Amino acid sequence: MTENLNHQPYIDLKGIRKGYRIGKESIPIFSGLDLTIARSDFVAVMGPSGSGKSTLLNMLAGIDSPDGGQLRIGSNRLDQMGESARSSWRAHNMGIVFQFYNLLPMLTAAENVELPLLLKPLSARQRRVRVEAVLDLVGLAGRGRQYPALMSGGQQQRVGIARAIVADPALLLCDEPTGDLDRTSADEVLAMLAFLNRDLGKTIVMVTHDPHAARQARRTLHLDKGQFSEQRSAA
Amino acid sequence: MTFVRLAGKNAWRKPVRSVLLVICVAVAFLIYGLTACFLVGSQGSAGASDDILGVMSAAGRTQPLPLASMVRIAADPGVAAVTYTTRLRGFVGVENNVVAVSATDPRALLGINGKELGLTQRLVDAIGKARDRVLVGRALADAQGWTTGQRVTVTAVQTAREDGGRDWRFEIAGIFEGDNASTDTYFMIARYDYINAARARQKDTADAFVVRPRDGVPPGELAARIDAQFANSAAPTRTQSEKQFLDAFLRQYADVGLIVDLVVGTSFVTLLLIVVNTMVFAVRERRFEIGVLKTLGFSRHRILVLVLGETLFIFGVGGAIGLAGARLATELAGPALGLVFSALVLAKAAGLVVTLGLLTGALPAANAMRTPIITAFRTR
Repeated sequence: MTENLNHQPYIDLKGIRKGYRIGKESIPIFSGLDLTIARSDFVAVMGPSGSGKSTLLNMLAGIDSPDGGQLRIGSNRLDQMGESARSSWRAHNMGIVFQFYNLLPMLTAAENVELPLLLKPLSARQRRVRVEAVLDLVGLAGRGRQYPALMSGGQQQRVGIARAIVADPALLLCDEPTGDLDRTSADEVLAMLAFLNRDLGKTIVMVTHDPHAARQARRTLHLDKGQFSEQRSAA
Repeated sequence: MTFVRLAGKNAWRKPVRSVLLVICVAVAFLIYGLTACFLVGSQGSAGASDDILGVMSAAGRTQPLPLASMVRIAADPGVAAVTYTTRLRGFVGVENNVVAVSATDPRALLGINGKELGLTQRLVDAIGKARDRVLVGRALADAQGWTTGQRVTVTAVQTAREDGGRDWRFEIAGIFEGDNASTDTYFMIARYDYINAARARQKDTADAFVVRPRDGVPPGELAARIDAQFANSAAPTRTQSEKQFLDAFLRQYADVGLIVDLVVGTSFVTLLLIVVNTMVFAVRERRFEIGVLKTLGFSRHRILVLVLGETLFIFGVGGAIGLAGARLATELAGPALGLVFSALVLAKAAGLVVTLGLLTGALPAANAMRTPIITAFRTR
């Protein structure tokens, strides 16, 4: 399937069904969820705990599968892909920023950033150049040899963002990226995400509890009981 | 960074645990290395020939054969050369400093297995200059600190002289080196005519005849023919290759190979259980991180290779240390212990490193590979 950038949304969910089974009881999360997100959009997803925000993000990241419905990102039908195909898709199309950074403690900042590049056919020199460029982009030039344990939360999150964008994915998924940061660091991270969306054209889907963070997005979706309600942001 | 470096960093993230594992592996491979070196080097059986035949009494190797039997052996068309040998066992100085003397015709021996022993015409000429001269093997000379021209006295355990004494005095005419490191050179070669003339009993007999078959003659067939020739004689024979003889000699005491296999097998099974157990826990501890790697796009296959790489790293480092230790021990032990660190030992050990590394990594790697990302993320 060839993507028509002008007419087709970049992310398209149709009639998504998803539930969890606890013992013999089935607990539905989504029963026919629809969602479209345009390329280069910046969408914040808010909602109370248990509303399905993380489940939605996991499905968009291809680490969880819907029970039914269609899930298309770009030209790829994630709902029809096997696990190895989804791994490959993640490696080339998506970056993810976690709430608690999830950096590997035994690797330096630069090595953490370099991880996604190990999956690409690049020479060591090409990888090093890219890593230095993204560390510079997130304001951590010269800090590549530092280990995560010696960095502040804000700095670790910037390493996390650098790792998410180093392979130049079109889609950036953020799971509470400011949830573990103080206001100043959170604002820096949000400014960086806004820059990535505005200047580099990344499509960003950000799950957050923080209304202040959500205001950085172009639009905010409220998820409750498996359904969306929408609100446009001033940003 | 590379995958190898990533595997190495993963393996080294808990240094104390990793060091203990490496020590564990190193000790196991030290045991393997030493026992394998012992097997290769023991009595020179690895360096012994399959082609050279030894003809001994069927009644036992301590029973002598009449020297006259040699003529009948030499008459077989399949025999290229034959000589006689008598072993004189004794000690030098103190009773536990045991040495063996092979009394033979050095000139004939040169033609039969001179190449294997490292004999040269110059050495044979040197021993020929006086009846009490001997050629000493390199291992024995190094162990005793002997040099050419030195006089040594061997006190025989059984072979008495005509004068009733057991002291046999020799002058060292030269040192033979052996064809390679696994050749047994922990003995000396004396002249049969000297020993035979001076000994009190069993004159004109030999403990064995050494036979080199003609080219193209199967040694096994020739051995059977020789034994058939003497089957109904007063001195029936048992003919074996040099290698068969030495293996059988060792088995008189115990099946050394089996014992070594059991010791090494037990240590490796224990090692396997320890490393598997530790690696399963190590991988379980960081299931979350494996989930992160999978989220970044690392496929199940790459995760499998990564965990296998960690165990291979542990086994590689530990194995290298253990084998280096075994190599060092063979150097320090000197030739008297007969330890030989051959290329075969190294190749087998390298194969074991890889096999055990993969075996021990298989279970934790499969667990890591199979764990769904969602399940991995729930472990934090």
